[in-house]
Amino acid sequence: MARSRKKYSSGQTWQAYIFNSPLILITLIFVFLPVAGTLITGFFRNVTFMPNKFIFLENFYRLFGDVHFWQSVRFTLLFVFVSVGLELVLGMMFALILNEAFPGRGLMRVAILIPWAIPVAISARIWQLMYNFDFGVINYIVIHLGFVSSPVNWLGSPVGAFFSIVISDIWKTTPFITIILLAGLSLIPDELYKQAMIDGTNFIQRFYYITIPLLRPVIVVALLFRTIDAIRIFDLIYVLTGGGPGGSTSSISLYAFKYYITGDFGYGSAISIVVFILASALAVLYIKFGNFAGELK
Amino acid sequence: MKARIILILTVLLISISGIHCSKSEKDFTIWIGGAPEEVDFWAKLVSEFNKQTGYNLQLIRQPTYTDQRRQELVISLEAKQPDPDMFLMDVVWINQFIKSNWLEPLDKYVTKSNFNTDVFFQKVLNSVDRYRNKLYALPVFMDVGLLYYRKDLLNKFGYNGPPKTWSELVNESLKIQKAERKDDPNFYGYVWQGAQYEGLVCNFLEFIASNGDSIMKDGKIDLNTPQNEKALQLMTDLIHKYKISPLNTYTEMKEEETRRAFQRGDALFERNWTYAWNLAQDNDSPVKGKIGLTVLPHFDDNQSVSTLGGWHIGISRFSDEKEKAWKFIQFVSSYEVQKSLVLNVGWNPARKDVYNDKEVIAKLPTVKILYDALQHTAARPTLPYYSQVSDVIQRYVNDCLAGKINPKEALEKMQKEEDELVKIYGTK
Repeated sequence: MARSRKKYSSGQTWQAYIFNSPLILITLIFVFLPVAGTLITGFFRNVTFMPNKFIFLENFYRLFGDVHFWQSVRFTLLFVFVSVGLELVLGMMFALILNEAFPGRGLMRVAILIPWAIPVAISARIWQLMYNFDFGVINYIVIHLGFVSSPVNWLGSPVGAFFSIVISDIWKTTPFITIILLAGLSLIPDELYKQAMIDGTNFIQRFYYITIPLLRPVIVVALLFRTIDAIRIFDLIYVLTGGGPGGSTSSISLYAFKYYITGDFGYGSAISIVVFILASALAVLYIKFGNFAGELK
Repeated sequence: MKARIILILTVLLISISGIHCSKSEKDFTIWIGGAPEEVDFWAKLVSEFNKQTGYNLQLIRQPTYTDQRRQELVISLEAKQPDPDMFLMDVVWINQFIKSNWLEPLDKYVTKSNFNTDVFFQKVLNSVDRYRNKLYALPVFMDVGLLYYRKDLLNKFGYNGPPKTWSELVNESLKIQKAERKDDPNFYGYVWQGAQYEGLVCNFLEFIASNGDSIMKDGKIDLNTPQNEKALQLMTDLIHKYKISPLNTYTEMKEEETRRAFQRGDALFERNWTYAWNLAQDNDSPVKGKIGLTVLPHFDDNQSVSTLGGWHIGISRFSDEKEKAWKFIQFVSSYEVQKSLVLNVGWNPARKDVYNDKEVIAKLPTVKILYDALQHTAARPTLPYYSQVSDVIQRYVNDCLAGKINPKEALEKMQKEEDELVKIYGTK
């Protein structure tokens, strides 16, 4: 890096700054300012119908003793871990299948994108109707197949609600991972596989020694996007369970939203800052350990 | 080039004069939201008012959802904008708006125009619209929680009338549910609103108030009492012990879910607001003509109580057309308009005298019951941080209904968190 910096004259550096200035400006206005604004709001007792008061870190202290906040942190991290993990495995499987030549492949590639193209609020509502206790199709199927005798209240227990959310999220966002991995797969030269086959390798060896290493930067990008997305999860849960039963499926964002909507902007902002810090920390970890800058040369 | 500059200047001039014109006309505004057909009705009322008075009152349409309506008002009022001049408020907002000093006291206008406030329900006026002997708002229409019941089924099983107490409701439900399940496996005895949202607080309040208790006593939140424990135990038992309320009560049941279940014919009793009556009497409704309406049941040795809902009208302190706004409030409170509210959109009038109107009684035989229910209402706490208080109640009552904790534990935790909230928000 230091080597490349030396190459530019000061005039060139200035030129680079000028050309980059729109991007820097946009980042400042739309990323830096809102984050700074949220942080400042977090230092106040900013509650509708009450006078504003500077309380510095009190909102953040309050977070430590707030059991519901920690419950939502636990839920969110568990959700990220389980759903992103399963999505990666499934997405990889679909990508490998769709990378093979078979009749109707083009159609399949389009079809798999449909869940990703449906707005989250709508797909969450569809899943909610499917999980419905009275007339949901899932209860209809399990009863008619004889697995259970009376309808199951899928969204009624913490565990049931958790997996209902995970399943809906997997259905919705696996296509995203599939498409990114598929793009990565199509960049791997076919000759490598052919050569390896001549050397007498089997499918698993080729997958581990060719596909995975060459796909790694793409996997890291897919994971990065999905993890940051999942840690901020809001809309799916808002529609599907509203955080219930009894707040057991409340994500951190949903928890922050509850304070915003009930008028406590200070505490809501403090919670949002935690989401921001978590997402940034994970992004830094991915970029550091993903090491894809090295692989991409 | 010259021509272009002249063109631009002309356009600018016209637009400036346009702004000037609209300002000199002195229109004033009222902000109202809700279901589209409700807002349409308000539009008609406003144009009627303008025709009568020659004023230029503008109706500004707000969103359907109550929380969003409040958010819009809060933004304008916090910025001390002269618009809106008037607005409708949900009962629980009024105190918050008064404490923020956003509402114009109405006493001066009442005296000046010889306006008679005795025509309204005094209990409602005193508990909601008055604060420290000053009047800040007037009710426009009222809402209460009521018990809907299937007349045909009660007759079929030999009951003369609807249940008066909770134990009667449970016994009748158990018997009829068992028999009806043979034909309809989805039949339930009693449906009510148990999902985690504001409606759950209304239901919870009705259960505890019908056992002689309340959320607040002497200005303090006081939930952890034996009476409340008994009431919360009953709520849980309806679902888990007697199984007369469906399991999805605590996950999905809001107003519309309960109404649909009852209207499909899948429930014997339903707790709902007054709006469900007209819909259940629609021509395509399977329960049309088979249902009755009464006050909610109560615990033995106590009386029925309904949670008070409804909308009230007030004038913004920042309005620049307060006199004209008061004229509109008088118009809305008039006998004729109140009567047309109930006849055309089925809203329960805020004026007592309309309940004796022959035409109203002929069209809506149920107004007598509403009148009775309005005598015994419970109001939700009036606190600037009510939303946070409500959130805690919702969470623990819902947890208890889900069977995760027992009523005693739920009330203890609720009380502890409410105390913490008072500590955080209670200081100036």
